Amino acid sequence: MEVEGVYHAYRRRAVLRGVDLRLRAGTLCGIVGENGAGKSTLLRILSGELRPTHGSVRHSGRFGYCPQHVVLNDALTVRQHLTFFQTAYRLSDVRYAEEIMDVLGFTGYIDEQTGVLSGGTRQKLNVTLALMHDPQVLLLDEPYQGFDWDTYQRFWDLAARLRDAGRSVLVVSHLAYDTERLDELWRLDSGTLRADKAGAAA
Amino acid sequence: MRSHLTCFAVAARFTLIEHGRNRFAMILVVLFVPVWTSLAYLAMPDTPARMRLRATGEALAPHGNELTAISGALNAVTLIAGFMMFAATFSGSGFDRRLAMAGYPRAHLVLAKVTALALVSAAVATYATAVICLAWTPRQPLLLAASLFCAGLTYGALGVVFGSLLRREVEGMFAIVMTSIIDLALQNPITSSGADNPVMRYLPSYGAMQASTAAGFSTSPVPGHLALQLTWFGLAALVALLGFRHSTRNCLPTVSTPPPGPENRTAGIPAPPQAATPSATEAH
Repeated sequence: MEVEGVYHAYRRRAVLRGVDLRLRAGTLCGIVGENGAGKSTLLRILSGELRPTHGSVRHSGRFGYCPQHVVLNDALTVRQHLTFFQTAYRLSDVRYAEEIMDVLGFTGYIDEQTGVLSGGTRQKLNVTLALMHDPQVLLLDEPYQGFDWDTYQRFWDLAARLRDAGRSVLVVSHLAYDTERLDELWRLDSGTLRADKAGAAA
Repeated sequence: MRSHLTCFAVAARFTLIEHGRNRFAMILVVLFVPVWTSLAYLAMPDTPARMRLRATGEALAPHGNELTAISGALNAVTLIAGFMMFAATFSGSGFDRRLAMAGYPRAHLVLAKVTALALVSAAVATYATAVICLAWTPRQPLLLAASLFCAGLTYGALGVVFGSLLRREVEGMFAIVMTSIIDLALQNPITSSGADNPVMRYLPSYGAMQASTAAGFSTSPVPGHLALQLTWFGLAALVALLGFRHSTRNCLPTVSTPPPGPENRTAGIPAPPQAATPSATEAH
């Protein structure tokens, strides 16, 4: 993923003031920023939901995006969600999704309607839908909110395994937890991205 | 071709399941239609209401309670179809967007929604017609069902429009209820002295009201008014389609990059199922 000179303003209020970012293959990166730093705007642009005022975003390969707020259909079961996105991604089966479900520990809920699931389980499905086509570029917005400690650990293990398999993983959060797990860490401040060497492992 | 059919079938199945699990709407269908239609028939006086039906030019004198029952059925069908489509659009727009960004063809999603709307409208219109036929016999029951169906389609599309534009659930419900009340009350010759006003022909259910009144008390066919109602549906559906297209747009440039082959998988990471047909929309 390559981001060049992204600038965005809501009317006269500039939120992003020239964001440059290159996400290399096989890296696990993080972006942190305080409330109101422009993370949501940047994510909307990176995911294609919002067109920046200036600048460009390029993705090559399959792209996966896990939104911060759980985006599910409460009337459908977990299995029906998998079928819906299997069709969207044109996958021949959902074995990979089932393996992710196994890693995140919610296989037992496959026939439950998502409207009755707990917040943490809904978030697990939210993440699974972003991962189930094995994206080469993965953008995760606050992906572990609602996870218990065990699931939180397993999530990071999964992210590291994806990185080791050559995938680019970008985790966005308002708090710089577990920055030692990241290869690169950027801080979004005053509308620009700055490398934060202190927390990153590489 | 098979892929298109699968996309449509999956989307249509899940759209219908979603409507079916809208319990409040199901209760409305089961109870509201017969209660409203029967009360209108039983509570209103059966005094003949003299009127000239614009659709045929005939001077009619239908029983007041029968005329009100038709108006009540139209009201029930439009409210239910509008509410169901509004609820699905309001709660499902983010999910539709996610599906579209994941590569689900938007045309198939739209087609599935239209199919579901048609099936819901057909079912409710048939049910309302059957309830009316239990109390009295309209001259053209099939035309009555067709009128109710077209009105349901129109308000279903309006529900999608309201669901796309309005930010709060209560706003959408109010918009649907008020539109239906104003639309139908103004056209009812028993409750409105201005029912003959030429302005009435621009109301959203004018075609259906004329056709259903003709169905109740005349033997003349009125295809033009059904067509007029379908035009209203077409216009509302066009606005709804533009809203859907806008809300599911993808601002990223499309790059067609084939997915990597199995040799690119690394041990320890479970290999996903191989993509049957690589899609450009998957690779942004």
